[in-house]
Amino acid sequence: MNWVNYLKLLLLAGAVSVQADPAMEQLKKLGSSDKDVRAATLQEIANSGDQRMIPVLSDYRLGSLFLYEDNVVLGLDIYTNDDLDEFVPIAELFSREPLLKPDGSAYLIPIEEIECIEPSRKERKSVLEAITLLELSAPDNEQRLEAVRKTGLGEFSPILISKLRNLSESDPKRGIRRAADESSALLQLRSGDPSEQAVAIEMLGKLRSVRSRSFLENLDNADAPAVQKALKRITAKERQISTFNILNSGISTGSVLVLMALGLAVTFGMMGIINMAHGEMMMIGAYTTYCMQQLFRHTPDDPHNMFFIIALPMAFLVSALFGGLIEWTVVRRLYKRPLESLLATYGVGLILIQTTRLIFGDNRSCNTPTWLQGGVEIAEGMSLSFNRIFIFILCAVCVGGVVALMRYTTLGLKMRAVIQNRDMAASMGINTRMTDSFTFMLGSGLAGVAGYALTTIGGITPDMGQNYIVDSFLVVVTGGVGNLAGVVCSGMGLGLLNKFLEGTLFGAVWAKIIVLMVVIAFIQYKPSGLFAAKGRLADD
Amino acid sequence: MTNVETGSGYYLGSLAGSSAKQLNKGFLGSIVALASLLPMLAYAGIISVETVNMIGRYMALAIVALGLDLIWGYTGILSLCQALFFSIGGYAMGIYLAHQGTLHNGIPEALYVVYPYKVGETRGMEVLPWFWAIFKSFNLTLILGILLPGLLAGFIGFLGFKSRVKGVYFSILTQALTVAAMMFFSKNEMKLCGTNGLTHFKTIAGFDLSDPNVKIALYVVTLICLIVAYLLCLAITRSRFGRVLLAVRDSETALRFAGYEPFAFKTAIFAFAGMLAGLAGLLYTPQANIITPSYMEARWSILMVIWVAVGGRGTLCGAVVGALLINLLYSVLTSQWSIGSFDWKPEYWPIVLGLLFIVVVLALPNGVIGVWRKMVGKVTELD
Repeated sequence: MNWVNYLKLLLLAGAVSVQADPAMEQLKKLGSSDKDVRAATLQEIANSGDQRMIPVLSDYRLGSLFLYEDNVVLGLDIYTNDDLDEFVPIAELFSREPLLKPDGSAYLIPIEEIECIEPSRKERKSVLEAITLLELSAPDNEQRLEAVRKTGLGEFSPILISKLRNLSESDPKRGIRRAADESSALLQLRSGDPSEQAVAIEMLGKLRSVRSRSFLENLDNADAPAVQKALKRITAKERQISTFNILNSGISTGSVLVLMALGLAVTFGMMGIINMAHGEMMMIGAYTTYCMQQLFRHTPDDPHNMFFIIALPMAFLVSALFGGLIEWTVVRRLYKRPLESLLATYGVGLILIQTTRLIFGDNRSCNTPTWLQGGVEIAEGMSLSFNRIFIFILCAVCVGGVVALMRYTTLGLKMRAVIQNRDMAASMGINTRMTDSFTFMLGSGLAGVAGYALTTIGGITPDMGQNYIVDSFLVVVTGGVGNLAGVVCSGMGLGLLNKFLEGTLFGAVWAKIIVLMVVIAFIQYKPSGLFAAKGRLADD
Repeated sequence: MTNVETGSGYYLGSLAGSSAKQLNKGFLGSIVALASLLPMLAYAGIISVETVNMIGRYMALAIVALGLDLIWGYTGILSLCQALFFSIGGYAMGIYLAHQGTLHNGIPEALYVVYPYKVGETRGMEVLPWFWAIFKSFNLTLILGILLPGLLAGFIGFLGFKSRVKGVYFSILTQALTVAAMMFFSKNEMKLCGTNGLTHFKTIAGFDLSDPNVKIALYVVTLICLIVAYLLCLAITRSRFGRVLLAVRDSETALRFAGYEPFAFKTAIFAFAGMLAGLAGLLYTPQANIITPSYMEARWSILMVIWVAVGGRGTLCGAVVGALLINLLYSVLTSQWSIGSFDWKPEYWPIVLGLLFIVVVLALPNGVIGVWRKMVGKVTELD
């Protein structure tokens, strides 16, 4: 945004001091009849680094620049009146705003009275080159990087190569220096000169340039040992990238699983309640986020992301309240009958899903706040998206929060006491009913936070919880019931295993089937999970 | 985990009481009489053949409920993979029926879904998978449709019960297994017709499936199977074996100390329930004229449990009544109707079903049969 504002200011300054602008003088020289003057001027513009000139040069190449009253102006679409006379409406060069007469009407210049400034056919290529050179000296790092990469795929040109070499030596950004090396080598590869090609191949191999693979493979001498060596290095790099991507997507899948399973670890793992409506608690969290977005009238590109910040505690609270309601009406009566709590809470889930569907319809999508859009590129081909990082951090914070709550607060102490020995806790004066309610609400609220996090990944549907419920139960069972560390390990482990299988040998469905089978086999081998409770609790 | 299941107290303990037995007989007698009347009513034109067909399907589902009641109501194992066993039976019959339909180059039309070219087109790549060839024979289909689910159930039970996976853990595991199986069946490369499943069946053992007489015959066969299954289950629950099952439910640890090996009994009854589910699948598919992987969805498995719960777990007639009742309710409440100014919409059904889950679990732990017995019991007391 800042950049745009800056440019606007520049444009404004340009518009005010039209006469004094050296750019205008240069453009006038482009209208010269002397070929050499034109070439020199073009070069001068290209070397000026003036970013305003990029669109102007494109206009020049397309023949849309005109000389009018000793000023260079931009000609808009030609207007034809009833007598078939042609007129050119003119606009200010840099702002592209139509020029108006003092009385507010547009300038319409008869086409015969206005002189077009355009390059000859031969010169057009050098105009393109000048545009590329200007782009290569963009002050904005992202834009410059983009331009550098683009240049490597464009046409061979000695001027561009020398500019790229220049960049590779003097650019302040390491990534751009590297990209400049790569692009100049890619251009060299197409120079036709065998010795230059050899240097380029060596360079591309050294850079492990993934982009150059198809160019190298299509070389006439693709079987030559030098090319093969470069290709081998590139393959190694590609393997690195795919490993990174598997890790990346595995960890983010794992974070979602852990976030989902964390709430279950509290309700199922600690209280022994099977809450089949846990997925629906997640759904409620997601819909709360959606409601917040509607309440704040947030549109996708709105930079005011207050709704997303408020939605986090709201998602937790609303889900926790629903959880409390369920505990109070249904679950409380079933503490001694876990199998039946499975059925009753499944019924609760059905009601919640269908009610949501009746209220909201089938598909809704939540806006991702602007600061979670996009991502950061660590190295070429390896990028982390902000929403995945956000989910990972949220997951870590939630795990830390639950651990701290259990360890360091009175409420946590009471929860642990009730879980370990309900009767003893009650006789010590702990209100076990209240504690149960709070524990259940905490678990449900955590599911709500998971739903909130999921809105940044995809759309929300009333039955979104159903997709996660079996997986999260498996995570809790694999991790060992009542064990937070186990849940984190098994959630991350299952997420990684799933993505690893998906990324290497199998498709998504097979990966899922195999993971399920692995979990089932694992539970055969260790029926009480990764971190089994020992001693007296174990046989419960 | 030993005593948690017995909190509400079942009627089984007092099942030996003669009044309960007579009650069962009277109840079931009237159901069977009513059920055998249906074909005649259909021939008389009072009800449509479609209705009979529908009841026939529901009776097939009642057979699954019987098996589930044996393992859940009597043995205390909540299995969420009965839908898988049901689907295996259903697929066995489905593949057999597909062979009876239109063939192209000896390959059933339905199978063309899994090949990337048009129906009937030959490129030499399409082959009849070996597991399709097996189900060409009707008799073999019937045997395998029951045996395969039984074997699978035995295998799952053996692994699970041997390592003492109990209670909700077993439920979650079986649920996960069913999810995995559904994905497996949905994959085109498994050559099981993907998510479309098998449908548009034409004939069964030479009879036209669209013929009303054949529909009624299938209904009668289903009714007979249901009665036989019921009697078999009754025999099991009344035997020594059945007593052991109750002991497993009430105190597995005590049973083990008494020198029994619970896992063998559990595995056996689980396999038997799997076979019943397979039989139900065999009977259901020709009447519904379709079988798809969606029958393995989680909601189906849980729905089957709720049939038993609504009817009254731990009573065999409860399972049958529950399955019929809920499915009839389903067919009424998923159609559109209005009373006065009130418009019923099919969208309300899941809410009703959800409420049913909650009410049955909280207020009617012994289901409809429990309520019935209480009422009748009071009447007899007054007498």
